[in-house]
Amino acid sequence: MTVFKTFLKVLNKNKFIVILYSVILLFFGVSNMQTQEENTNFISSKPDVLLVVSDELEGITKHFVDYMEKHTNRKEIEESVRDDALFYRDVNYIIFINDHFREDFLSGEQPNIEVKSTGDYQASLAELLVNNYLKVASVYQKMGFTEEEIMQNIDKTLEKQVVMEVTSPLDTDQLEKVAFYYNFLSYSMLAGCVYIICLMLVSFQNEKIRKRTIISSMSDRKYNRILLLSNGLFALLLWLCYVVLSFILLGEGMFSRQGFLMLINSFLFTICCLTLAFLLGTLIRSKNTINGIVNVVALGSSFLCGAFVPMEWLPNFVLKIAHLLPSYWYIKTNELLKTMEIINIESLKPIFYPMGILCFFSVFFVILTNYISSKRRNIG
Amino acid sequence: MNKIIEVANLTKKYKGKTAVDALSFSVFEGEILGLLGPNGSGKSTTINCILSLLSIDEGKITIFGQEMKPSAYEIKKEIGVVFQDVAVFDELTVIDNIRYFCGLYIKDKKVREVYIEEAIQLVGLEEFKKYYPKQLSGGLLRRLNIACGISHKPKLIFFDEPTVAVDPQSRNNILDGMKTLNKNGATIIYTTHYMEEVEFLCHRVIILDKGKIIESGTIDELKSLSNIEEKISVEVNNLKKSIISDIAKWEQVESVDYENGILIVTYQKGKNNLAGLIHYFKENRIEYNKIFSERPTLNDVFLELTGKGLRD
Ligand SMILES: Nc1ncnc2c1ncn2[C@@H]1O[C@H](COP(=O)(O)OP(=O)(O)OP(=O)(O)O)[C@@H](O)[C@H]1O
Ligand SMILES: [Mg+2]
Repeated sequence: MTVFKTFLKVLNKNKFIVILYSVILLFFGVSNMQTQEENTNFISSKPDVLLVVSDELEGITKHFVDYMEKHTNRKEIEESVRDDALFYRDVNYIIFINDHFREDFLSGEQPNIEVKSTGDYQASLAELLVNNYLKVASVYQKMGFTEEEIMQNIDKTLEKQVVMEVTSPLDTDQLEKVAFYYNFLSYSMLAGCVYIICLMLVSFQNEKIRKRTIISSMSDRKYNRILLLSNGLFALLLWLCYVVLSFILLGEGMFSRQGFLMLINSFLFTICCLTLAFLLGTLIRSKNTINGIVNVVALGSSFLCGAFVPMEWLPNFVLKIAHLLPSYWYIKTNELLKTMEIINIESLKPIFYPMGILCFFSVFFVILTNYISSKRRNIG
Repeated sequence: MNKIIEVANLTKKYKGKTAVDALSFSVFEGEILGLLGPNGSGKSTTINCILSLLSIDEGKITIFGQEMKPSAYEIKKEIGVVFQDVAVFDELTVIDNIRYFCGLYIKDKKVREVYIEEAIQLVGLEEFKKYYPKQLSGGLLRRLNIACGISHKPKLIFFDEPTVAVDPQSRNNILDGMKTLNKNGATIIYTTHYMEEVEFLCHRVIILDKGKIIESGTIDELKSLSNIEEKISVEVNNLKKSIISDIAKWEQVESVDYENGILIVTYQKGKNNLAGLIHYFKENRIEYNKIFSERPTLNDVFLELTGKGLRD
């Protein structure tokens, strides 16, 4: 407890630098948001669909229409301006259900549906919905179920699928903001962790203070453990603060799956920062070098890896070098998530790789730190 | 008297180079033991070995009747150490620094706060409680260093050269503090290369050189080892070489030194040495300012034993 309390006192004495890094994050996060809002190109989450139904609204026809209404925004548009509506993207997809849709279906024929599409991503979502429905429906029809049973089975089957495949609304503008914030966070997190943890290690692992502490009734092991836990707690709290901040600043965008995954990603990155900071703290001896180290490590890697400017703008050779830095893999994951439309195991595969590398970095740093400090101790 | 520490055959090598060589000695309850030796003689190494901060190559160390090990926490609780180098947190105030080191030993908050106050009083830092180490002068910093080492009221205290490079006021404060601690029951081991401090403070002295004990005993015992009985200093200008060699031939004289206008004559035995010298000066019409006789200091003993001064 004594060591921990002292840790807090030292932290308190140095809180301003952490607050400074956080204010930078806050400032840039907010300023970015305003510039983004000017050129919004809002894409609604559900496709806008016009349903033109000539058949009686009964049985499977009604079921199909209900299903489409549930998963799309149904629009009402006059016949004369339909083509204009498509052109101006007031709707993404028009479905014509002819007057013998139900009859054809129940007799086992391919029901006749005509569509008109803008051909964009939203339209493809609508198409996916239609195709899925018809495919599943015809499977149950062929199995000889009654109309009632077919409708029930379609519900059961598609419900699961819809949850899995039709993504949580992809709002690219919102995600752009979330990704920007989380990319920038890599700087504040790395700088904050490296600064504070190096400072703590230089203070507490100072040969003389360490000597003084271990001639008390505290064991070397316990001392190290408390230091590790205190520093870990600090990093965790910093991360929590930044996460809370992201919810306050970004709101909606954070409640998407992509936002959630970026949050997980930032946690992995925090662990990585923590281990890197321990390594650096073990290497340096003097407080005077900390500022330099923070600038080189945090500022340097944030620039190289595209935390401040988009990765696409960076020259190729810079990106090649950036591969050696954890920040690169962290930001890469965010960039992938930002544009990811559909989230399932298959689509997430590409982000497992950079996330794995982040974990690998952490393990590597831990091993290196242990190796160095054990070498040190042998000399003493 | 109770033996508090027993060091038997302690040997410590740094990469094959022997720093402490088969040292054996005891420390008794209630005494102030001086470990005296020139730079590099192995004083700090000896202390660090006794405290298990360094691994030892040979020998055995017993404190309070138990073997000292890195994990001997029961023993460690009763020990206080003031290291040669100042070891405090730059980010903590004077009182918070003492609180930290005291807190490592004393868990009861009320008791701890009382102890901290007492430590601050002992070293006289009452006015500087809220200061940060950077704001303290060298002497005050040393006093803080001491307060950090002794605030938990240990029974056994090690002081490693606490007065090196300290202003006279702080030095007196530190020496008085050590006396007070000893009076309150602490056994003290004190390393230094300042003779006057040892003469002022210590009950018993061990003289180390090159990692070995060359002599030990009370101050009087050590002084009686010396061949020198009396030392006479004369302030005199422009003394001729012939006169110096003349004096050196006298039967009782051990040595004659003339430097910076001061003549120092040491005598082995005998009486009326002073009268003889004054008489000689009168006969030869030599003018002198001051002349005085003194008993040899520990420094003289040391010079005789090791052939070199302590501050080399
Ligand atoms: N870590 C070390 N590695 C190698 N040699 C060392 C180390 N520490 C001390 N020594 C050597 O051991 C010898 C004894 O050193 P020690 O510090 O114990 O002397 P000391 O009496 O305390 O001197 P001082 O009055 O300067 O404090 C010296 O020759 C020194 O050079
Ligand atoms: Mg020393």
